[in-house]
Amino acid sequence: MLKQIEGSQAVADAVALCRPNVISAYPITPQTHIVEDLATIVAEGRLDTEFLNVESEFAAASVVLGASAAGARTYTATTSQGLLLMTEVLYCIAGMRLPIVLTCANRAISAPLSIWNDHQDSMSIRDSGWIQIHAENNQEAADLHFQAYKIAEKTFLPVMVCMDGFILTHAFEPVDIPDQDKVDDFLPAFRPRATVDPMYPRGLGLFADPRFYMEMRYIIHRAMEKSENTIKEVHEEFNKAFGRKSGGLLKTYKLENADVVIVAMGSVVGTIKDTIDLLEEKGKSVGLLQICSFRPFPRKQVYQLLKDKENIVVVEKALSLGRGGILGSDVRWSFPRTEQTDRKISNFVAGLGGRDITTDDLAAMVERVEKEHVEFDFLGLNRDLILERDL
Amino acid sequence: MEKLPLGLALDLRKVVPYKTGSWRTQMPVHVMQTPPCTFSCPINNDIRGFLRILADKENFVDAWNILTRTNPLPAICGRVCPHPCEEGCNRRDLDYPLAINCAERAVGDYAIDKKLDHRKEHITPRQEKIAIVGSGPAGLSCAFHLAKRGFKVKIFEAEHQPGGMLRWGIPTFRLPREVLDYEINAILKLGIELECNVRVGVNIPMDQLTNEYKAVFLGMGASIGTRIEVPGDDAQGVYSGVEFLKEINSGKQIDLGKDVVIVGGGNTALDCARVAKRLGANTSIVYRRTRVEMPALSEEIDEALEERIMFRYHTNPTQILAEDGKVVGMLCVQMEMKEADASGRARPAAIAGSEKVIPADTIILATGQAVDYEGIELNKRDEKWISTDNYLQTSIPGVFAGGDAVLGLETVSAAIGQGLRAAQNIEDYIAGTLQNTLSRPPVVLSKDLNTIYYETQRRFSKQGLPVHERLKGMKEIYSNFEPEEIVKESDRCLSCGLCFQCNNCLMYCPDNAVNIISGTGKYTFDLDFCKGCGICSKECPCHYIHMTLE
Amino acid sequence: MMKTAVEFDKKNLLASGHRACGGCAQALACRMVLDAAGKNTIACVATGCLEVFSGPYPDPSWRIPFLHSLFENSAAVAAGVEVAYRALKKAPVNVLAMGGDGSTADIGFQCISGMFERGHNVLYVCYDNEAYMNTGVQRSSFTPFGAKTTTTPAGNRFHKKDLPQLAVVHGVPYVATATVDDYHDLQRKVKTALSIHGPKYLHVYAPCPLGWGHAGDMSIAISRLAKETCLFPVYEIKDGKLVSVVKIPVKKPVEEYLKVQGRFRHLFKKGVPTTEVELIQEIANQNIERFNL
Repeated sequence: MLKQIEGSQAVADAVALCRPNVISAYPITPQTHIVEDLATIVAEGRLDTEFLNVESEFAAASVVLGASAAGARTYTATTSQGLLLMTEVLYCIAGMRLPIVLTCANRAISAPLSIWNDHQDSMSIRDSGWIQIHAENNQEAADLHFQAYKIAEKTFLPVMVCMDGFILTHAFEPVDIPDQDKVDDFLPAFRPRATVDPMYPRGLGLFADPRFYMEMRYIIHRAMEKSENTIKEVHEEFNKAFGRKSGGLLKTYKLENADVVIVAMGSVVGTIKDTIDLLEEKGKSVGLLQICSFRPFPRKQVYQLLKDKENIVVVEKALSLGRGGILGSDVRWSFPRTEQTDRKISNFVAGLGGRDITTDDLAAMVERVEKEHVEFDFLGLNRDLILERDL
Repeated sequence: MEKLPLGLALDLRKVVPYKTGSWRTQMPVHVMQTPPCTFSCPINNDIRGFLRILADKENFVDAWNILTRTNPLPAICGRVCPHPCEEGCNRRDLDYPLAINCAERAVGDYAIDKKLDHRKEHITPRQEKIAIVGSGPAGLSCAFHLAKRGFKVKIFEAEHQPGGMLRWGIPTFRLPREVLDYEINAILKLGIELECNVRVGVNIPMDQLTNEYKAVFLGMGASIGTRIEVPGDDAQGVYSGVEFLKEINSGKQIDLGKDVVIVGGGNTALDCARVAKRLGANTSIVYRRTRVEMPALSEEIDEALEERIMFRYHTNPTQILAEDGKVVGMLCVQMEMKEADASGRARPAAIAGSEKVIPADTIILATGQAVDYEGIELNKRDEKWISTDNYLQTSIPGVFAGGDAVLGLETVSAAIGQGLRAAQNIEDYIAGTLQNTLSRPPVVLSKDLNTIYYETQRRFSKQGLPVHERLKGMKEIYSNFEPEEIVKESDRCLSCGLCFQCNNCLMYCPDNAVNIISGTGKYTFDLDFCKGCGICSKECPCHYIHMTLE
Repeated sequence: MMKTAVEFDKKNLLASGHRACGGCAQALACRMVLDAAGKNTIACVATGCLEVFSGPYPDPSWRIPFLHSLFENSAAVAAGVEVAYRALKKAPVNVLAMGGDGSTADIGFQCISGMFERGHNVLYVCYDNEAYMNTGVQRSSFTPFGAKTTTTPAGNRFHKKDLPQLAVVHGVPYVATATVDDYHDLQRKVKTALSIHGPKYLHVYAPCPLGWGHAGDMSIAISRLAKETCLFPVYEIKDGKLVSVVKIPVKKPVEEYLKVQGRFRHLFKKGVPTTEVELIQEIANQNIERFNL
């Protein structure tokens, strides 16, 4: 049923349709509507679940860890500082192979304090063993949750659905919320592999000495790599069941025959598509490679799609301080070393802390990379504000 | 190799435990040690054993069986033994020693009440014959233990009834004759032949015994009462203690007159005094030292005092006064105590000019006893007692001896103990392995115990007849004890040196390395896992667990 | 004859083969707790000595389901397990959360507070060995005044945090303290706690031979001494009311407790107690007054 709703509400509705057994969250640092909306759904009796409002994101993650270990389908949502506070537990969840689904409403991280959108929060835990899939719009954000549970419960890897804070979470868009029956058909009941159960006593979270630790990490790494297939399969199943192309590993827009290819993820993709269309009118051939699955990073597919492209520009909303772009690095790494020098792979960081990325900005960027290879730069940086002595 | 499970979630039912025993540098061992009661007991009775059976199972039959493994006369010892076991009892440092003597009596009395017999089923008969001379406690004990070993035993008794000093020396208010008869009969029922009215050395020569029997045990006791030399002791109305008691115990009537004076401080003196008191005489005891030095049992002195027997300490007879050949009084001198003599007791010395007369119609000189050697030739010690080697063998090969005749004047239990050891040695002698001696495990002292786990409990105290009732006749002072109270008292036993299943080791082992052997209640150490921390040993209340280096 | 009856629970649900030091009271306490709780129990354990010595792959010592996540979140994880059981409508199960004093009083206190406040049906058991033992004896907020640790080489200047009282003010319906030497009391308290719905807090005193500087075989004796010197009052609080106190008829001077432990040795100069000992005696005196020991 198509509804004109806020992004958070769409996600809340989608999560409710996934019938999680336990929801725990601390929707404060900063606040999201997702959990509040879920609370309402539970309070109205539309969802039979244990809804637990805890004292911190750290506790929320710990609660879902415990609940998942006990065999429950669990859900939590957070963003920014809250995600950082959860970090320790998130690594633990991935290591214990608990198929938890988390929505990260991507926002900037302190300091300075900012509550606006960028991807620095989820990027900071990109190595934790969580599958990270990014939504372009609210429909995809909602759809990704159905897929997330399916992926998680097939791979026993936790899945983080990333959607841009404010830009998506607080935006009202028409979203199709499917019927419960349809979701139930798509998403079977959770069948846990190993739980804490007095009938079948198991030890979870054992400590591993040097004989075993590396193998355990290797196994997670391989599972992450192999989850590419699962993501693809689930995406295809979803397409078949719901008739929408939400999710998957990658998406393209006018990529074929493009002279310049923009690589990006998240909601900025919409603006990029507009820019591509505008530039097309001006006779320029610009294409888009949209990264849906940031972790696992679909290196081979990226390479396949970009190997013939001469001019590539990565725009991202995150920054590895002292190193530069993160997505940019990953895209570069997708090419064999010998092929990296054959082409221009430029990298721009944009939109940090909620700074708008406009079609003008993007058009200017394309213009610039047509002329030169920009190893790394900021888009839309106001240098007038910067004191030279602080640099 | 086992593959790693998903997320390292391990099925705990398949775990093979890691063996931590390899960490150990010291290990616990169970060491059964000698409790101080057994150590102090001249018979080495398994006191701990019979008390535990009483406490845990309330089983008087088994308690009696345990007790009679060593002591065939528990009802007698429970009445007349000075119970050195209680002096040894480690509970003295916690509250009061256990009333072992009362428990022993209760067990003995139970056997009498239920007419229990000694078990014969494990006895393998042997052909060797052994002669026992004297049916006092030493002789009875030796006969009993030899009979239990299967020997053919014959007792020669000089008197017309068996029992020796038990019968002739102890008044019936301390040892009722039905108790004595029952326990003697129980022993004789093992197939022991008893011939009374035979004096070895007089009616039957020693040589005949040594020829006819594989071995001989002399337990003839010290049946002659000796007197100190007091001028005038040939007067009528002067008795030796042994003589007096024997007369009374034989049922003879003696006219004691109004005042009876007993000289001496031993148990015989007290028995004489208490008998005289019961016969209605005004009785006093004359002793040259004080109560502290008196060899008699403190308990018996207390009872005598209750019975209003007068004690004249620091008093020594110098002359017996007689009129018409009959005693009328005793001239005594006051003594004072000087430095200790060879016996360790203060040496009394007369105070010049302190003589005074004590009126007396009868004087009993309970000042000593001697062995009747008539017709028996062997080496002596101090020219009084039979000399034996470490195996209680006398100067005649194959002739063993024990009891008062060897020890000098000692207790019933000492005599029984010697009878037991003589029986063991006679068996070894016949087997030709007399040199063997058994070593005994060390004694548990109260410092070895972890007394925190024991509760202080009231000691059982026996209630005797009121004094006016006692003095009416020769009735036993203490009637039989309530079994429940004895069971309760038995539970006070600390079980020094032997496990009593308190479960401390089981519960306090951080490594679960202590297991119960099912059905037995016994514990074992699982050395696969024991880290040797020593908690079990430290927290063992009774010092049964020791730590040893590996 | 024994002061204590011979009833007990011994199922070895924390089995042999754990890597605790010889004489570890925490291993002992944990086994007693698990055995009293029984097989229908899930334990959520914080990182620390207990988890490290009992939970190594591939031979952990647990024989009941065991869940370890992090140092500071055992209470929250247990809350998760509890709600999951409720949500999945599974048969009721005892959910235990466990941790040492560091993970309880310091880093994990927020999760415990939250668990208490939300009223989860979880028994939190704190094994108090009065410092971070697993990592090499660093001070925690349960380290008593005067004790030497690797981060308080001159003796701790702070006083021990009164966590049972904090639990009480959280409105926890059952708060109790116990020691390993009296396993009847300890196991009874576990059972009492598990019979009550809602959050419960059990504080178990667990001497550490390594950290406290005493021989392994002294763990029980020292645990008892802590009680007898009134430095560790053993009591039970139900619905905010003190319902039982283990009375100490013969109160021993604190020296007896301090002198047998290496961590207090510096409080005695050539065997003569310093003023700190008086202050520690004062702590004991306050306990006596407060609990009418």
